Amino acid sequence: MAPRVVVLSLASDFGCQVQITNTEDHLLTILGLIELSYWQLASSGHMPDEYDVAIVEGAVTTDEHAHLLRDVRGKAAVVIAIGACATIGGIPALAGSGSLADRYATVYGDGVIVPAVRRAPAPVDSVIHVDYHVPGCPIDQSEFLRVLSRVLLGLVDHTPDMTMCGSCKIAENVCFFDSGVGCLGLVTRAGCGAKCPSLGRPCTGCRGIAPDANVVSALEVFERAGGGADALRSALDVYNTASEVHV
Amino acid sequence: MGGVPRSTIAPGDRTSAGVNPYRPWPARITSIIDLTPQEKLFELRLIDEGARAAFDFDSGQFVELSIFGVGEAPISISSAPSKQGFIELCVRNAGDVTGALHRKQCGDVVGLRGPFGRGFPFEEMKGHDVLLVAGGLGIAPLKSLINHIHDDRHDFGNVTILYGARSPAEILFRYQFDGWKHRDDFDLILTVDHPDDTWEGDVGLVTRLFDKIEVDPANAFGAICGPPVMYKYVIAEMRKKDMDVDRIYVSFERRMKCGVGKCGHCGVGHQYTCIDGPVFNYWEAMNLQEAI
Amino acid sequence: MFFRMIEKERLPDLIRGLSTEFEVVGPVAKGDKFVFAPIDDPADMRLDYDTTILPPKKWFFPPEETMMRFRVADNEVVDDEVYAPPRVLFGLHPCDINSLQLMDNVFFGAYIDPYYRARRENTLIVGLSCVPSETCFCNAWGTDEAHWGFDIFLSDVGDEYFASIRSVSGAELVDRHVKTREITDNDTRRFQERTAAFKAAFENHVDTSQLPLLIDAKFESPIWDQLGEKCLACGACSMVCPTCYCYDVHDELEPDQTMGRRVRTWDSCQFKDFAAVAHGQNFRDSRASRIKYRYYHKQWGYLSKFERVLCVGCGRCSRACKAGINPVKVIEALQTGVVS
Repeated sequence: MAPRVVVLSLASDFGCQVQITNTEDHLLTILGLIELSYWQLASSGHMPDEYDVAIVEGAVTTDEHAHLLRDVRGKAAVVIAIGACATIGGIPALAGSGSLADRYATVYGDGVIVPAVRRAPAPVDSVIHVDYHVPGCPIDQSEFLRVLSRVLLGLVDHTPDMTMCGSCKIAENVCFFDSGVGCLGLVTRAGCGAKCPSLGRPCTGCRGIAPDANVVSALEVFERAGGGADALRSALDVYNTASEVHV
Repeated sequence: MGGVPRSTIAPGDRTSAGVNPYRPWPARITSIIDLTPQEKLFELRLIDEGARAAFDFDSGQFVELSIFGVGEAPISISSAPSKQGFIELCVRNAGDVTGALHRKQCGDVVGLRGPFGRGFPFEEMKGHDVLLVAGGLGIAPLKSLINHIHDDRHDFGNVTILYGARSPAEILFRYQFDGWKHRDDFDLILTVDHPDDTWEGDVGLVTRLFDKIEVDPANAFGAICGPPVMYKYVIAEMRKKDMDVDRIYVSFERRMKCGVGKCGHCGVGHQYTCIDGPVFNYWEAMNLQEAI
Repeated sequence: MFFRMIEKERLPDLIRGLSTEFEVVGPVAKGDKFVFAPIDDPADMRLDYDTTILPPKKWFFPPEETMMRFRVADNEVVDDEVYAPPRVLFGLHPCDINSLQLMDNVFFGAYIDPYYRARRENTLIVGLSCVPSETCFCNAWGTDEAHWGFDIFLSDVGDEYFASIRSVSGAELVDRHVKTREITDNDTRRFQERTAAFKAAFENHVDTSQLPLLIDAKFESPIWDQLGEKCLACGACSMVCPTCYCYDVHDELEPDQTMGRRVRTWDSCQFKDFAAVAHGQNFRDSRASRIKYRYYHKQWGYLSKFERVLCVGCGRCSRACKAGINPVKVIEALQTGVVS
C-alpha cells in the first residue's frame, strides 16, 4: 500500500511547498508512489486522522503549533522537516533574538501585548523527534526527492554533517576569504553544492550550522580575513538565531 | 592519427583487465535462517556458472554485498571454503544495506563482489593446535575457519573455541554449538555477560575462560575476532600463555566502500584493511597505529 | 626522448591543431585564480598561471561520476560503460604530472579501476615549465621535475620553448601541427640556465629528514591536538589535493524508483564519518586523529607501499586551508615539536 502523506505548514512563507510543486516533471511520478492525503497549500479540506508520513514546513511559533506537532508525531510513522524554518528555526527565529515583547513593540508599536500562546520561534525538533531533515531556504528539489526516496526505501536520514567548503572547492569557486569577505560556508552544513558562492554570493547559512563545524576556529578566520567576529555573528543571525551554537 | 591515443606512463605499471571490479555478480538467496532478533544467516548462490566456479576463497575473506538502490556493505564469509557452490553470510541488521538485506526473501537476487582481502593462514595452521576466540558478531568470520578445520579435522592438533556473547539469546549458531558441547575433538566454551534462568554455561568476559584452558605455546595458533575493545585483552591473555606474536591472528572490521584498496575508508595505520587485511598477525597489528 | 625548439608565437598553431583531434583542456582565468577548463580559443589559455583551484585529477577521476546504471527489480547492472573522449591536458606543471603517476599506483595495480583507466588512456599530457610561487614546495620531494608521464613537455627558455617529446603520439602531433627546429648546444645551455634559475627561486625549503620515521615516532605528539583545534574539518585540503583519491559511493534512484545509478564522489578523511562503521564505532572521531591520519597516510602509509610520498608540493592545500594549516608548517612542527 502506498504510504499516506500529509504536507503541513507552521510559520513560513510556503516557499518550500512551492518548491515541491516546482519539481514539475517528477512530481507526478512521485505522486504515483505515495497517497497524498492532505496538502495544506493545495487542499481545502481538513487533515485526515490517519497517515504514515508527515512533511512539515515552517517554524514553531505558537502553543497551537506545538500541540499540532505532538498530534502529528502520535499518528505519523515518519516525520520529515523541510526548509530552514522547520529544521533550524530560520528567518522566523529572528523574532526570538532578544525578548518577544520588545519585538512586538518594535513591529506593532508600544502597548501591544504579546499573546499568551506565542512562543520564541523554534525548529520542529525542539518539540518532537524528526526522522528526516531537508535543510535549506528554500529546499532543493532534488535533495527533497532523494530524501523522499530514502523514506520510501526505509533508509536512515543521511543529511551531510560536514561544512560547505569541500563542495565549494569542487565548484572551483574563488574563496571569499581570499579577498577579505566573510562567508558562512565555513560553518554551514554541506549538501547544496555551494549554490550561493557559485553564483558569486557568500553563503548565508540557510542550511544551518554543520554538526562537524569548528566554530571556534572559524571565528578566528573571520577575525583574520572575514570582516571580524561581528560579521560572523550578524551573518548567523539571519537563519541561525535559534541555533544552540553560540559564537 | 588513428585509434586511441596512449599517454606515456612509467613502463611496467599497466596490466590489462577486461573486468570491472566494481560490478557485482547477481546472486540468489537460497536460504535465510533467523539466528537472533538482530542477526540472520543468508545462504547465497552466484547465478552465473562461470563466476560460481571461479569463486574461491579463504576463511577470513569478505565479499561486498550489493543491493542496488541502497548500496554496498562488506560482509565476511561465514561458511567454509570446503562448502562448494554456496556461501553463507551472517548479517546483523545494523545499517541501510544490512537492513534492506534483512527485508529480502528467499529467492530474491542481490549482488556480490569478491572475495576480497587476506584471510587466515589455513595451510600454515595445519599440523598445529588452534585457539579461536570470538566476541559477539566476531564469530561470523571465525565460523568459516571453524567449519574449515572441522572438514579437515585430522590435519590439526587440539582445537579450542572460546566464544562470548552478551546473553544466551544472542549466541550465534547455537544450533550447531549446542550439538558440539559433548564432542571431544573440539573444546568449546561459551560464556555470556548476562545469563538467563536457563543458562548453565560460563558467565563473564571471554578473557576469563583462559584460566580453564591449556595452551602449548610452541605449537599453537590463535585467531581472534570481536568488537574493537576486545582485542588487547584477549591478546594479553594469549601472550600470558607465551603464544608467539606472529602466530596470533586478528581480524578487523573497518568502514569500507570499494573493497579493492582505492576508496581509502578502511585505512588502519599505514595499511588498508580491505587488501592488506582484514586478517593480520599480531606482529603486523602491533605496527599498525591505532589498530588495537 | 627527443627534443625540438618551438617559437612561442607558433604555440597557438599547436593548440589549434590539437583542437581538431581532441578536446583541449588548459589553464584559464577564473576571477583572480585559475582553473583547468576546455579551451575554445588558444588566446584563453593562461600559460602564465601559478596554480589552479582544482588539480587535473578531475579529468581522470571526476568529483562525481556514475559507475553503473542499474535496475532495482532484478538487482541487475544495465550499463557500466565509461565515457572517455580523446582529450589533451595542456600546460600541466611538473608537480601535477607527477601527481598523476602517484594516482596511477592506486587506480591501477591488482584491481584496475576501469573508469580512471579509460580516461588516462584517452588523455595526452602536455607539460609546461613554471615559476615557483610562495606556496610551492615541490623541491622537497623531487617533484619539481617530471621525467615521465607526459607526451610533450614545454620548457620556457625566453622566446622559445625547449620541447621534450616523450611519446610517439606527442611526436606525431608536434610534427603535424607546429613548425619546429632541431635543438643546438646553445638551446640545451639555455634550458640548463632556466632550470638553475627555477631551482634557485624557491622560497620554501622543507626539512624532510627521516619524515616517515618521525611521523611514526611522534604519533602521540601534542602537535596533533594543536592542529586538531585549528582544523576546520572542511575537507578543502583533500578536494584540492592532486594526490588525494579517497571516494565515497552511494546509489541514486530515479523518481519512479525502478532504475538508478551507483555514483562515486570525492571524499575526505577529514570528514567525521569517514571511518565510522555502521553500528556506531568511529575509529577517528576527533579532528586531531583525522588530521594526523591525513599526514600519516601521505608521509608513511602510501610510502610503505609505493616508495613515494603522497604529496607533490603543489601548495594547493596551503591556499585552500583558511585555518592556515599546510604541509610546510606541519612538517616543520614534526621536526621542531612546535606548531607555528
